[in-house]
Amino acid sequence: MKEKIPREDILIVDNIHTFIGQFHILEGVSVRVPKGSITVLLGRNGAGKTTTLKSILGLTPPQEGKVIFEGAEIQGKRAFNVANLGIGYVPEHRAIFRALSVLENLKLAERKKGDFERSADFIFELFPDLKRLSKLPGNHLSGGQQQMLAVARALVPENKLLLIDEPSEGLAPILIQQMMEAIRVLSEKTTILLVEQNFIMASQLAQQFVIIDDGQSVRDGSMTDLVNDTGMIHQYLGASIKTRKELEMEHEAQA
Amino acid sequence: MKPKRKKLITTLLVAVAVIAVIAGLYLYAGKEPFIRTTLSGLTLGSLFFMVAAGLSLIFGLMDVLNFAHGALFMLGAYMGWQLYTNPTFIFGMLPTVTAFTCGVLVSPVIKPFLIRWELPEQWQKTLPKIAYVLAIVLLILAFLNFNIMELASTAMVAATTTMVGNPLAEITPQEPLAQFWYRPVLLIISGLLVAFASSKPGVKTEFAPKEDLLKKAVPSILLFALTIIATLFRESAPIAILLMNGNLRFLIAIFVAVAFGFMFGALIEITLIRPLYVRPFFIVLMTLGLSFVIRELVQLLWDPLAYQMVRPPLFAQSGKAASLLEWLQNGNATINISGVTFPTYRLFVILLGFLMFVIVTIIMTKSRLGMIIRAGVQDPQMVEALGINVKRVFTFVFAFGVALATLGGIGAGPFLPIQPLMGDQFQMLGFITVVIGGMGSYVGAFVGAIILGMGRAFGDYFALKLSLSPAVSEASTVIIMVIVLLIKPQGLFGKKE
Ligand SMILES: Nc1ncnc2c1ncn2[C@@H]1O[C@H](COP(=O)(O)OP(=O)(O)O)[C@@H](O)[C@H]1O
Ligand SMILES: [Mg+2]
Repeated sequence: MKEKIPREDILIVDNIHTFIGQFHILEGVSVRVPKGSITVLLGRNGAGKTTTLKSILGLTPPQEGKVIFEGAEIQGKRAFNVANLGIGYVPEHRAIFRALSVLENLKLAERKKGDFERSADFIFELFPDLKRLSKLPGNHLSGGQQQMLAVARALVPENKLLLIDEPSEGLAPILIQQMMEAIRVLSEKTTILLVEQNFIMASQLAQQFVIIDDGQSVRDGSMTDLVNDTGMIHQYLGASIKTRKELEMEHEAQA
Repeated sequence: MKPKRKKLITTLLVAVAVIAVIAGLYLYAGKEPFIRTTLSGLTLGSLFFMVAAGLSLIFGLMDVLNFAHGALFMLGAYMGWQLYTNPTFIFGMLPTVTAFTCGVLVSPVIKPFLIRWELPEQWQKTLPKIAYVLAIVLLILAFLNFNIMELASTAMVAATTTMVGNPLAEITPQEPLAQFWYRPVLLIISGLLVAFASSKPGVKTEFAPKEDLLKKAVPSILLFALTIIATLFRESAPIAILLMNGNLRFLIAIFVAVAFGFMFGALIEITLIRPLYVRPFFIVLMTLGLSFVIRELVQLLWDPLAYQMVRPPLFAQSGKAASLLEWLQNGNATINISGVTFPTYRLFVILLGFLMFVIVTIIMTKSRLGMIIRAGVQDPQMVEALGINVKRVFTFVFAFGVALATLGGIGAGPFLPIQPLMGDQFQMLGFITVVIGGMGSYVGAFVGAIILGMGRAFGDYFALKLSLSPAVSEASTVIIMVIVLLIKPQGLFGKKE
């Protein structure tokens, strides 16, 4: 006799509305993140993906709706309180601290004394470059190295959920591969909510997707269904999807 | 490689230019005038730095231009002078301050329970309002008939009669305990009401865990004990202080000025600045207004007069010391430095400035707090997202910046006339220092302060020597600022942004 294991959602975002100033940015976003897997937020530029992550974290608190983490409502809490519940954040545009050395960037992310000592081996195994660069100030790192550091920073304390915003943005294809591999390794330990414009990367990593369009969550489901639904891909993601070929061409153009 | 080489060349060029200027001044002025003027410049630079350091830290992290910094510098001088000359006022007021604070600090202990209280929405709004009104009524009742002016006048009297090493150690009669005790009691209750109201009873969206309640109660309990002690020893504590060795008394005065600055700074940030972060322009107006209020209060308490603080014994004996050791042994007023007679107290001011720079440097580069500040200057949101309470860091940095200003104030106390306007000139020069050094860079503030101080000192020297107008020295400040900003618009150590 087989028993069905109930799907457990570590995070539930329930119909949130977020304003920035007077602008109504999110007009009803709902996301469910099942424990132990990767869920990806897809959508065009400016659709509201980053704002969704920030609303979960409390950096742009939602005015309406609920955010439920491990069964408890967390909307309205200050961001540092939310983070201390065990949520790590990797912001877009590699927002590392430029004035701090690599080591200081990592140390700053400690929530308890000794967090860094505990996680250092794991981090440097995942991103060997960082060990070599540990004394350099953040603004001396290349774009790819900064992105690695931004991810590494979220791994210093023990997190139950990672919010990762466009980790492949502007990276060379070979680095994208490395980043993908790293995120796959991470997902074995932690649940991940990912924002990713690179559809190939997203489709290979994530098990679930949520599409955000114009500040609303419009579709969700399993990644395998989306990959086969070219109609949906073109309706909502259209221009924002980049094939690997396009990415490579872009990089050649840059170089 | 290229930017590195460019940096190296610029550094070399700057070094050569600096050495050339120094050598030129040395050759032109001659050895003794050069040393004398340089030491004067360093003294002024030290004072400028004491004001600019806090301004720069506060602006760097919070984008707050604190126009009350000069007034707080002045207040530091007054507090230190009070303690040093006759601390009756400080000890007379202490029980009321600790009593009120003791009540307010109960907030983190009761908040976890209050926010879980089932309370109709209407009461959630009105109950705190009622509590605030009651708190103000009690506050007024507590201070009714309290003769603050008389307490304040004691130091004024002492200032006019005190001799070096002969402090006035007479009992200044204060209100008897039987009459006084109800004031701290009312103030504790008033503080508790504020704690109650600010805890937002019944508001479910507030967040306060029930953890570590005992630890959170510690400050309040300590202050309660302190209130009792301070109440009992209102009269004897000032005498005990006045009977102490003058140097020790001066050390305590420094400590009191710093502690006062830190606490007052925290209070200003929490109550006045925090609600205004979304409206930066209002902060400018508010700090400007605050500086007027502080100045008026000081004038009310101590009259618009200038006081000369008696120098501590270490800097007071007549005669010139031949060496540092001799000075430390005898406490001479002047010292011989390479043939130049220089006041020892000014040397102390220079040392104090350098010491402050070292302390700030250690905090900024070696401590976790410094790391948080450097990160927060760039991106406070991301610091918060790491799980760090940025609001609290803001409060701390503001308090720390104000403490640096009050430290500067008491440092300048035995050297400048103590009067309500003594901070104004430093406010202006502090801002200019920060602009020259680069907004938000404490190293820049240090270098900028020294350059400005030197400009002033050598300006005075040339004005005298070439019989130019004394305005030359004041003009030097503006000239330096213009030159620096033309070459480097973001300031010497400013980051491009
Ligand atoms: N600070 C802000 N002020 C005003 N509008 C903003 C701000 N931040 C984001 N927006 C707007 O909100 C929308 C969603 O932005 P964002 O969440 O960053 O989109 P995405 O990450 O999906 O590209 C965009 O239209 C953007 O212009
Ligand atoms: Mg985005």
